[in-house]
This record gives sequence, structure tokens and C-alpha cells, in this order.
Amino acid sequence: MSSSGSLIREARLRAGLSQGDLGQRTGKDRAQIARWERDEVSPPYETVLMLVRACGFDLSSELLPYDESLSERIRDVLPLSPQDRLKRMLQRRAGGGA
Amino acid sequence: MSAREPRPFDPLRILAELERRRVAYVVIGALAGVLHGTDEITDRIDICPQMKEDNLERLQRALEELGGRRGRRKDLVLDEESLLGAPVTAIATDAGEVQIVPQPAGTRGYADVRRGSSREPLGEGVRAPVASVDDLARMMTTLGRRGDEGRLAVLRRLAELERGPGIAR
Repeated sequence: MSSSGSLIREARLRAGLSQGDLGQRTGKDRAQIARWERDEVSPPYETVLMLVRACGFDLSSELLPYDESLSERIRDVLPLSPQDRLKRMLQRRAGGGA
Repeated sequence: MSAREPRPFDPLRILAELERRRVAYVVIGALAGVLHGTDEITDRIDICPQMKEDNLERLQRALEELGGRRGRRKDLVLDEESLLGAPVTAIATDAGEVQIVPQPAGTRGYADVRRGSSREPLGEGVRAPVASVDDLARMMTTLGRRGDEGRLAVLRRLAELERGPGIAR
């Protein structure tokens, strides 16, 4: 799941709008939109939906099974530094993906 | 080379040359995902370069130094017109393939992707600019390729974990 800020930003950029443009479309303050996009403040879900729709998109809200294995896979790699992640990938590549 | 032997891929050599030539670029694609923590395996580097003429000249010189070849063409010419004529330009080098993506899907190009990027230390003094997880997910979402659902789910979970506790269990 993306954060509300990244969803708003993605929708706005994909619509080719500036924060000011989106503010004009929705009657929201440009600075407030910037704070939402930076995830400094989380807007209510209804506000996210309104902003996304103002960009010409919709949000799908459905309940899906939570896949715990995704986090497990990532948690093995996350403690490594980017340098070690690169080394690990190259080693796996040389070993045929093991 | 036997059929089982992987193609040569030395990303550090490629990135070191780009850095040495002071090329303005951001690493995107699967390798950027790997550097953030995905468990993919890739044998190429995707980059989004700044499209200014002098930067493309530096990029061309860096790739020439790496033995860069563009298809069957003998000369390697990287100019704005030819690069913008295709979404992706693949350059084979002695250190592996480099894919040049002037405007990654869902973005407005280099300046847009650079904003969220971070410089990551990768060893041998190389600190490469890498696109943010959110921007990588944005590109993948916009591309909407079948079969990318699992990779996108990993990127999104990674973004949650990077943001800290609260959502991911």
C-alpha cells in the first residue's frame, strides 16, 4: 500500500498537474497539498479520494488477504547496506539465482 | 562462453565510469529495486539521464570507454533527438547492458526522478543516485505490465517498511 502522500503525488504527476493546479481544482491550499504529499500530515480518506479523482483517477478500496511472506522476504534483505544488497544479488546471479 | 555462463555484468564498473565522467543520471528499474531491498536478479542497469547536450556527451564518452555499442551501429551517438525517439535505448557494453530511459513511465524525466532519489554508497568509492521506492512503484504502476504484480507488491511493502512501523506487520 502506498502512503496517502505518495498516492496524491502520483495521481497529480500522472495528470501533469502542479500542486497549484490541483489546489485550484479542489479549493485546497497549495501548501496543504504539499504537506500531504510529504506525509507530514495524513488527510482523511475522503480527502485523498477527492484529490485523486480531481486528477482523473479513482481509488480501489477492497479487502485483500495480507501476504505476510512479502515482509519476511524483504526483512532478510532490509538490514543489509545497499552495497551488500548489490553483492548478494550478484552472488545469486552467478549461482544461477539460488 | 558456454550457454549456462551468465552474460558479463559489472554494475560497479559502469557506475564508476558514469561518476568519473560526472554524468547526471538516476538509477531506476530492477537494479534500483535491488539496492532498496527487493530480491530480484538483474543483469542490466536502467538509467534516467539528464537530457542536456553536455550531459549526453559525457554519457556517450563514459559508455564509449566501456566499449558501448548500440545495435549494429559502429558509432555510438547519443543525442537528445535519437534518445527521445524511443522510450528505451539499449547500449551493450563490456560490463553489461545499460538501458537509457529519458522519461520513465509516469514521470516527467530526470528532474522529477532526481527529486526523490538518494545517493547510495556501493563500494569502491561509488555513490550512485538511486530512484526512490515510491517513484519505482509509480513507474511500474504506470507501465501496467502483466506479470509485474508481485514485484509491485514487494516495492509497496518495502515502501511501508522504509516509512517505519505502523502499517506493515
